Amino acid sequence: MKKILFANTLIGMLATTAVADVNIGNPMALTGPIPDLVAPMAQAVDLAAQNINDQGGMFSGGEAYNVIRADSACDPVAAVDAVTKLINVSSVAAIVGPVCSGAAIAQAESVSIPAGVVTLSVSASSPAITNMENGTDLVFRTAASDAYQGVALANLAIAKGITDVAVSYANDDYNVAIAGVFSEAFTAAGGTVTANEAHEPSKASYRSEVATLGATSDNLALFAYYGSGGITLMRNALETSAFTTFIGADGMLSDEVIDQIGSENLGTTTFTTSASDPTTKAFGAWKAIADAAGVPASDPFVPNAYDATFMIALAIEKAGSADREGIAAALREIASAPGEVILPGEWEKAKGILAKGGDINYEGAAGNQDFDENGDVAGLFSMSSVVDGAWAATLIE
Amino acid sequence: MWESFGFEFVNFYFIPGLVLGCIYALGAIGITLTFGILRFANFAHGELMMMGAYLTWTIMAIATAVLGIAVHPLLAAIPASIVVIYLFFWTDKFFYKPFRKADTIKVVMASFGMMLILRSAVQVIWGPNQLTFVPGIAKPNPSLLGWSSDIGAMLLIPNKHLFIFAGTILFVVVLSYILNRTRIGKAMRAVSDSPDLAHVTGIDVDQVIRATWIVGGVCAIAAGVFLAMDIQMLETTMGFRMLLPMFAAAILGGIGKPYGAVVGGLVIGLSEELSAYPWIGDAPLLSPGYKTGVAFAIMVVMLIVRPQGLFKGRSF
Repeated sequence: MKKILFANTLIGMLATTAVADVNIGNPMALTGPIPDLVAPMAQAVDLAAQNINDQGGMFSGGEAYNVIRADSACDPVAAVDAVTKLINVSSVAAIVGPVCSGAAIAQAESVSIPAGVVTLSVSASSPAITNMENGTDLVFRTAASDAYQGVALANLAIAKGITDVAVSYANDDYNVAIAGVFSEAFTAAGGTVTANEAHEPSKASYRSEVATLGATSDNLALFAYYGSGGITLMRNALETSAFTTFIGADGMLSDEVIDQIGSENLGTTTFTTSASDPTTKAFGAWKAIADAAGVPASDPFVPNAYDATFMIALAIEKAGSADREGIAAALREIASAPGEVILPGEWEKAKGILAKGGDINYEGAAGNQDFDENGDVAGLFSMSSVVDGAWAATLIE
Repeated sequence: MWESFGFEFVNFYFIPGLVLGCIYALGAIGITLTFGILRFANFAHGELMMMGAYLTWTIMAIATAVLGIAVHPLLAAIPASIVVIYLFFWTDKFFYKPFRKADTIKVVMASFGMMLILRSAVQVIWGPNQLTFVPGIAKPNPSLLGWSSDIGAMLLIPNKHLFIFAGTILFVVVLSYILNRTRIGKAMRAVSDSPDLAHVTGIDVDQVIRATWIVGGVCAIAAGVFLAMDIQMLETTMGFRMLLPMFAAAILGGIGKPYGAVVGGLVIGLSEELSAYPWIGDAPLLSPGYKTGVAFAIMVVMLIVRPQGLFKGRSF
C-alpha cells in the first residue's frame, strides 16, 4: 500500500513537471505607504507576462509564464515573509520586485541570496544595493541608483537658484541614502545644507520637526514616502509657513499629494523621478503596447517593471530551463551587446533567435538596461512640478 | 520673551504636543478600561479607531454625494460610532467571550487576530490607498490669531485643533460623570477593582462588559476621528501606529484608571513633541527621528520604577 502511494506521488510529481509552467515571484508593495505608485507597476508586470504568453509562451513547449504576486508592503519584515513563501512554497525561478529599497535589501540579504535566487528589482534605487551582493551575482535592478538621482536633484536645486536648504528624510534605507547623496552633491556644488534631520515615518504630527528645520532655511529638501508621513510633513510645513520652496525625489511623486494638499499650495514644489527618454525606439514600442492595454506608459518605474519582467523571461528562455542557477549569467547575456536588438514586446522574435542559438540584446522601455558589474543600470531623470492641477514632467538633460 | 521663546515653543511644540496628547488620551481610556474590566490588552483597539474614522469618512462622502451638503466630521462620527460599537459587540460575542475564562494570553492573541482581520477587511472594502479626509491645508483661526496678537502672544491654532481640544474636554467631563455618578459607572469601577467581589454583590457583569465596549469604543472612535481631522487623511495603519503610544499612556496612568489614561496620554504626547525642542543650544535636544522612543522610554522606566502607574492602577 505504501509503495503504491509512493508510486502515485512520484507519478503525480512527474506529471506536474511535464506540464510545469515557468513561475516567477513578484513581491510588490501593494499595501503600505505607496500603493498608488505601485498599482500601475503591477499592471506593467502583468502586461509583460501577457505579451509573452500571447506570443507562444516559454520554450518549445509553449509553457505559460506565470507571475505569482505577493505583498511586500514596502516593509522589510513583510518582504522577507513574502519572498520566503515565494521561494520555498511556490518554488519560483526568480524574483521580479520588491519595490522599496529597504524591502529589497532585507529580502535579498536574508532570503534570495542565501537561496541562490536572482532578484531583479523594478524600482529599488538605494545606492546601498549596488555593493550588497557579497561576491555573488544575484541582485540586479532596472531602475537607476539614487547615487545618480541625488546628484541630479542637487544640480537642479542649484540651477533653480537655491543656495541653502534644510534636509528632512524619513528613517529608512531608501530615504536615508538619497538624502546623503543629495547633501553631499549639493554642498559640493556650492550650496549650504543648513540642517539635516531624520524624521520617524508615519507620525501624526511633524510640527516640531518642521519648526526646528524651518528656523534655518526657507527651502526644504524632503525625502520621504508620500504615504508614510511625507504628505503630513509637507502639510505641517505649509500650515506653519515654515518653508516656501520644496524639492524632493520619487517617493513623494504621487497624485495623492495634489489631492490632499491641493495644487494651489504646490506652486513651488519640484520632485524628481527616474524617467525614460521618450525619443528612443524602445520607448516608442513600449508606449504602443502600454497605450493599447491602458497602462500609463510614462509613470514612475512602470516601464522599468515591464523591462524587468520581460528580461527575466528572456533570461530563462536563454538558459533553457527554469533552473535557478543559470539565470544570472543568462540575464547578463540577453541584456547587453553583442546580439540582435530586441525591443519591448518582441517576444516571438527573441524566442526565434534564441532557439537557433543566436545572441540577443534587450533594449528596454526605461533605458538600454545594460547591467554593470554590480547589476546596476544607468538612468535618466525627470523633474515634475504642478501645472494645471496635475504633475507635469520634463526630462533633465 | 514671547518673541524669542514663547512663539515658537507654544505654537510649534506645546500645542502640537497637546493635540497628540488628547488623541492618545482618548484612545488610552478605552485601552485602560478593557484592560481593567475585561482583563486583556486589546490589540484591536487601534483598528477600532481606524474603522471609526473610515466609517465617518464614508458617511461624510455619502452625505455630500446624496444630499449635497458637507457634514462636519464630528456629526458624521455619531452614526459611525453606532455601527462600530455593534461590530464590537459582535466580535466580543464570537471572538472574546469564548476565551473569557481561559488564560489571558489566549484572548490577547484573539484580539491580535481581530486586529489583522479588521485591517484586512478595511483594505478590501476601501482599498490600500490613502483617502483624503479633508483636502487643503488648515490656516490658523483668524479671530484667535487677532485676539492673541492684540495681547502680545501670537497663537497659531487652526480650527481643527480647537475642535480636538473642546471635544476631548467634553469627553473627559462626560466620562467622569458616567463613572462617578451613574449606577453603571460605579459598577464598572467595581468590576475593575475586583470582578469576583463585584459579582457576589449582584452586579451584572455582562452588562458592565457591554458598557465598557460602549464607553471605550466611543472614546476610541473620537480619537480616530480627531486623528483623521488632524492629519486630514486616512490610511489603514493609522490606528496601529497609535496603539503602542496609547498602551504606554495607559500603563503610565495606571491600568484600569481612566483619569490616569488621560494624564498619561497628555504626558506622552507632550514629551514626544517637547523632546525635539532645542532646550540646549540650537539643535533639537533629541533628534526628532527618535520621538517614538520617548514614549517607550517613559513606559519602560515606569514599569520598572512604579509598575502600578501614576494613579495606582493594577500591576501585572
